[in-house]
Amino acid sequence: MSAGRPRCASALLQRDTNAFPAPFGRSPKPPSQARRRYACFVSEAPESNLVTASDVVERAASAYRALADLAETVEDEWQYVNDLVDAYLPSVRALATENEGRPLSPAQAAAVDEAIAEVALISDPHKAIDWLSTFPHVVALALGGEVDSPAGVASKGVGSEPAGADAPEPDEDSPFRILRRGDR
Amino acid sequence: MRFQDAARDARAVVYAGIQADPLVARVAALLAEATTAERLLARAVMNGERTEAEPWRRIFPALFGERAGAGAGEELGRHAELLLAASLEVANRGEAARSQYRGAVVEELTARLLAGRAAPGAPVRRERRVLFDGVPAEIHPYDVTVESTSRPEVYDCKWGARGINADVLNQLDDARTHGADEEIDIRVALVVFDSRRSCELRLDRSTASREKTRLVALESLDELKGLRP
Repeated sequence: MSAGRPRCASALLQRDTNAFPAPFGRSPKPPSQARRRYACFVSEAPESNLVTASDVVERAASAYRALADLAETVEDEWQYVNDLVDAYLPSVRALATENEGRPLSPAQAAAVDEAIAEVALISDPHKAIDWLSTFPHVVALALGGEVDSPAGVASKGVGSEPAGADAPEPDEDSPFRILRRGDR
Repeated sequence: MRFQDAARDARAVVYAGIQADPLVARVAALLAEATTAERLLARAVMNGERTEAEPWRRIFPALFGERAGAGAGEELGRHAELLLAASLEVANRGEAARSQYRGAVVEELTARLLAGRAAPGAPVRRERRVLFDGVPAEIHPYDVTVESTSRPEVYDCKWGARGINADVLNQLDDARTHGADEEIDIRVALVVFDSRRSCELRLDRSTASREKTRLVALESLDELKGLRP
């Protein structure tokens, strides 16, 4: 056994309190109090440093708001900027609901924070407008959700004209769905 | 009705140089085979501030992370790396040039996707005007045309939804209505390398006629190769 492993092995033995009948008539601990068995050390204490979707999404929403403040300085595009914000901000926030209670992987949290860092570098309001329509989709892709439709409404792939009969269903074109499907 | 090459003014000559840059063809070829997530990556990178690859790999872990390590994922990861590198080359051309490169990329991508299903009698052309009997010719050419005698198509291409404006929509609709006057059914479409939702928001505020203008957004680009002329 390597020097790094004894802790796992001893933990298996020491924590096995329910393996045999309790001596002196003591009843076994109820399942809720019993220590579980793991192949190596696993803490059962609540993790206080786990990143949740709501933490990350709130940071993304703040970054989006700041981006909109910059974009709004293009006077001719004030209406479009506000249309984008009215549409996307609730959808970004809804990503937290979709992932409620589920801790994010470090890569997911880092992806959103890195996207936030990217938009924080923008000083050109015209570029900010471009990012107002891109950033929500980048965040959604990282979190495995979508912002294609109003918050709480399933995506239906709206278009100015119905797609042709031989065209793929727009619903099937959500970036995350495509990614999972892995087609090209 | 007939198609005609656009006049070669100074702007067209300069822009033709960008269109002919092999980088444009390379990016467009990669985008033609890309997933929607990869196209989103390309849009982000070509709009981005940072021109190093590593931050972008972190922003798109689904394309460059563990899932891209084996099997089909390995191929996805390799393609995403090629697209990232090419997109960074565009970004590195500088702020002034990159907007022209981006426009040229969308046009080239549109032409390539359409060429995938083009019939022998329906060549895909670039920068063409459409002439109608008794109608003054438009100054601005259409970005991409499919010159079928039975069912011609004209396309205008935009990098972002913000490029959608009344002039663009009216020019497309004019082609359709003038074609109808000559009993020719012209399919008109706007190709935008931006999310459908952003395009719809832009269109919702427009009063220009667009009921018969098809929108092809970033998520549905593959429709271009799926439609039959």
